[in-house]
Amino acid sequence: MSAAPGWSAGPSSEGPSPAGAGSSTVARPGRLRARFQRWFQSRLPLSDTITLTQRNVYILPSRPGLMLGATLLVLLVASINYQLNLGYLLTFLLAGSGVVAMHVCHGTLRGLRMHLLMPEPTYARATTTLEIQLTNERRTARRSIAVSVLGTGHWTWTDVPAQGNTRLQVAFQPGQRGRHPVPALTAETRYPLGTFRVWTVWRPAATVVVYPAPEARPPALPPGEPRAGGAHAASAQSTGEFDGVRAYRRGDPRKLVLWKKLAKADELISRDSQQAQRHELWLDFDQAGLPGKEARLSRLCAWVLAADRLGVDYGLRLPGVQLKPTSGAAHRLACLEALALC
Amino acid sequence: MLNRLNALPRDARDTLFLLAVIAWIVMPQVNHLPIWCTALAAAVLAWRGWLAVAGRPLPSLGWRLALLAVTLGATLWSHRTLLGRDAGVTLIVVLLTLKTLELRARRDAFVIFFLGFFTMLTNFFFSQSLLTAAAMLVALLGLLTALVNAHLVVGRPPLTTALKTASWMALLGAPIMAVLFVLFPRIAPLWGIPSDAMSGRSGLSATMQVGHIASLALDGSVAMRIKFDGAPPPQSVLYFRGPVLSRFDGREWLPPAVRPGQRELPANLNVLGPPVNYEVTLEPSNRPWLFVLDATAQPPRLPGFELRQTPHLQWLTNRPLTDIVRYGASSHPDFRYGPTRASGAALIALRDDVALPAGYNPRTIELAAELRRDPALAAAPAPVLVQAVLQRLRTGGYRYTLDPGVSGQHSADEFWFDRREGFCEHIASAFVILMRALDVPARVVTGYQGGEVNSVDGFWTLRQSDAHAWAEVWVDGTGWTRVDPTGAVSPGRIGTFQRLQAPQGVIATALVTLSPDLLARLRASWEAVNNSWNQWVLNYTQSKQLNLLKNLGFETPSWEDLARLLMGIVVLASLVGAAWTLWERTQHDPWLRLLARARRKLAAAGVAVPAQAPPRELARLAGQSLEPGPQTLALQHWLLQLEQQRYAPAAAKAAARQRLAALRREFRQLAWPHS
Repeated sequence: MSAAPGWSAGPSSEGPSPAGAGSSTVARPGRLRARFQRWFQSRLPLSDTITLTQRNVYILPSRPGLMLGATLLVLLVASINYQLNLGYLLTFLLAGSGVVAMHVCHGTLRGLRMHLLMPEPTYARATTTLEIQLTNERRTARRSIAVSVLGTGHWTWTDVPAQGNTRLQVAFQPGQRGRHPVPALTAETRYPLGTFRVWTVWRPAATVVVYPAPEARPPALPPGEPRAGGAHAASAQSTGEFDGVRAYRRGDPRKLVLWKKLAKADELISRDSQQAQRHELWLDFDQAGLPGKEARLSRLCAWVLAADRLGVDYGLRLPGVQLKPTSGAAHRLACLEALALC
Repeated sequence: MLNRLNALPRDARDTLFLLAVIAWIVMPQVNHLPIWCTALAAAVLAWRGWLAVAGRPLPSLGWRLALLAVTLGATLWSHRTLLGRDAGVTLIVVLLTLKTLELRARRDAFVIFFLGFFTMLTNFFFSQSLLTAAAMLVALLGLLTALVNAHLVVGRPPLTTALKTASWMALLGAPIMAVLFVLFPRIAPLWGIPSDAMSGRSGLSATMQVGHIASLALDGSVAMRIKFDGAPPPQSVLYFRGPVLSRFDGREWLPPAVRPGQRELPANLNVLGPPVNYEVTLEPSNRPWLFVLDATAQPPRLPGFELRQTPHLQWLTNRPLTDIVRYGASSHPDFRYGPTRASGAALIALRDDVALPAGYNPRTIELAAELRRDPALAAAPAPVLVQAVLQRLRTGGYRYTLDPGVSGQHSADEFWFDRREGFCEHIASAFVILMRALDVPARVVTGYQGGEVNSVDGFWTLRQSDAHAWAEVWVDGTGWTRVDPTGAVSPGRIGTFQRLQAPQGVIATALVTLSPDLLARLRASWEAVNNSWNQWVLNYTQSKQLNLLKNLGFETPSWEDLARLLMGIVVLASLVGAAWTLWERTQHDPWLRLLARARRKLAAAGVAVPAQAPPRELARLAGQSLEPGPQTLALQHWLLQLEQQRYAPAAAKAAARQRLAALRREFRQLAWPHS
């Protein structure tokens, strides 16, 4: 929980990503900046709902804003040098509109309420989404708000209607398995003139469980183990590969038919009840046959998914954790979570 | 058309809109740009529009660089320079239109917007009229709309959404503009401006070549406006004196030469009769001339300038008038000036006023000799000779015309003998030459004469077309005396102020046919509006600023006071903003506020109340933890009433408000328990 989350950052436009922050190869100013950002973020309260106020909405002129400032200066000098009263009017009206635009820009985020919906568990290194609800209590719409995971630069744009709400999804890619706090999020707007950048940084309190990335091409499921204390322990060992299913034969009872498989593959497959009675499938950390903990967990994850697809009963044996063989969605989630938190 | 526009993809629609705005900005300048520039701008905009509609790719870098090189060359060819105002305007227009061919990144779009703002300003070099201002306001709204639209990222919102936001921003920005406009210190130009800065302005010049004033005759732009205190003097004395020209080189009338070591004669002005007081609003002429009604003994009241009067009664400022100025003056239409006797220094000076260059106008000199041979005129004094010449003008078949044609070498000869028609300057010039040939000191005076009164606001307007040239003749014993020979040729020009009308357009003709008065009235109203625009906006100068400060109670206002006042307003606005923010942060729904008060009272009484509990929940909790009794019942009843006020359908808003007020009163009367 306390470990720094390993969010991989996409191409970043603003600021370095927290993941790369500690690396010693980063240049000194970058490191200072990253440290500042870490310190700054650690001060933000954790909350799944945030109402934006003056305290957490920041504003700075953008590059076009500085360009507008330079334009105003040139207009003013031209008006002075050519003594154009109408030039003064134009300059000051443009400046006035710019000031109003600054307030409009800040007001676009100020008063907005953001709520993070409970994030779904996900697999490491798989792109997934966080769902956020934006609520606008104002009588006018808030326009052109972009939300992203801080540092990724993958913005999702939305308008929030007047006195209504809107939902949006921001993409992120978790790097490591485990239970992690949801990464810091940021919302930004440059509406209406693009002359100011108004943004906020938000640290949700929710956590997200990240399962290990399933191995891409896992070997076949391990052989079944004879039931503890069973009479056929020895012969079961010799049957080799676990073979919990077989093609449907006429007369197989309905409850042995793998209906899920039928729905997916359009072929009738039955559980081998004899096998099932004699053997049980154990997915064992020690049997995963790979060096390295993460690689083994990846393989186990792939096996859990494969066994679940087949609909057979399977148990999971991890260092310090053991889940008894059974099947079903709840069991699968329990196994995956055990793999994630192991 | 609109449907087709709506059916376009968003990119194409936005591009077309921006192109239209740019065209609108460039349009008012078309008269001042070289022809190739206008043509190129139009072609590039049309090409860009077609690319957008057809969805074609933008031209390659080579194309754009070639176009840029061509335009730079053409600008150099047209203006002989790339610097200075006129070349700068041409370049900006060209760059703005060429930039539309290059729209790769957001930065490019912003460059277009900011160039557009600058191009708008260049319009004001040529005109600061109300119409220009209105056109540029539309242009500003257009550019802001395009900018807002570029930042509406989601979907395909109609342009009206962006227009509404832009209009609101401009509307809310207007007070800021007004404050800055009124209080921003007006300072002198930071550095010298190129000499072509004023070339767009026409008016009287320092010399008079025959034919010059005629070129002003069609110029309807306003030279100055006069507001008389009380009744205006008779129209026949409305002569506003400009440069006096006494040196003639055969082709051109020049101001008197000041010989080194020669002391200028004093004006020797004596005024008679009551003065006429008036206020003049003078359009910028880029000349140091103040036009006043003949003759002004006291300097015109124009703060910020040093004034001096020439011996020829002209008032000069210490620097050219590049801005509209307003000054008060009092004149005496009845006056005498100049030397009364031709003796001493005056004799030498007067000798200059009979000089004629050799080799010019031999027939006019012959005419003078012929007149002198007339026994009645042989030794006649100046007034008699003047009358004789005026008589010749009246009866000799001479005509007043706007289109006298080009004069040759002997301009006076041509007028007196060949053409027999001319504009005021021909007449005045020929008259003065003849008088000098008669050995009568005479000279040409230029200025404005006449004008027309605006029936709406009572201002007199003098236009460039009112520019006039007349003569002054020196009369022994009296001094310089005004003679207007044009009046002898065309009495209407001086007497009733009917100027020769330039041919009118179709619409104007139709209007006149419809109602002869209508056009005059329309014009009068328009002039009045324009005049107030000039008085309040264009004529807002440093002196007016300082006057404003004086009215606000500053004793010796300076521009530092302006800055201080401006800062004060900024601070005040910030404080108001901060207060508003504080207020915004607190709960300002009265019902919610009342509920919060009740919640606090219950919490003080020891009831555990959740932050978001509604009244009914509060009533339930109160019933649980407070001692049962009539007090608690009353409390619960009140809370349920509060709920009902909010959620029961109210008949009218007013009734609901009254009910809430009653509940607030009851709240104070309730006995809240204490823990």
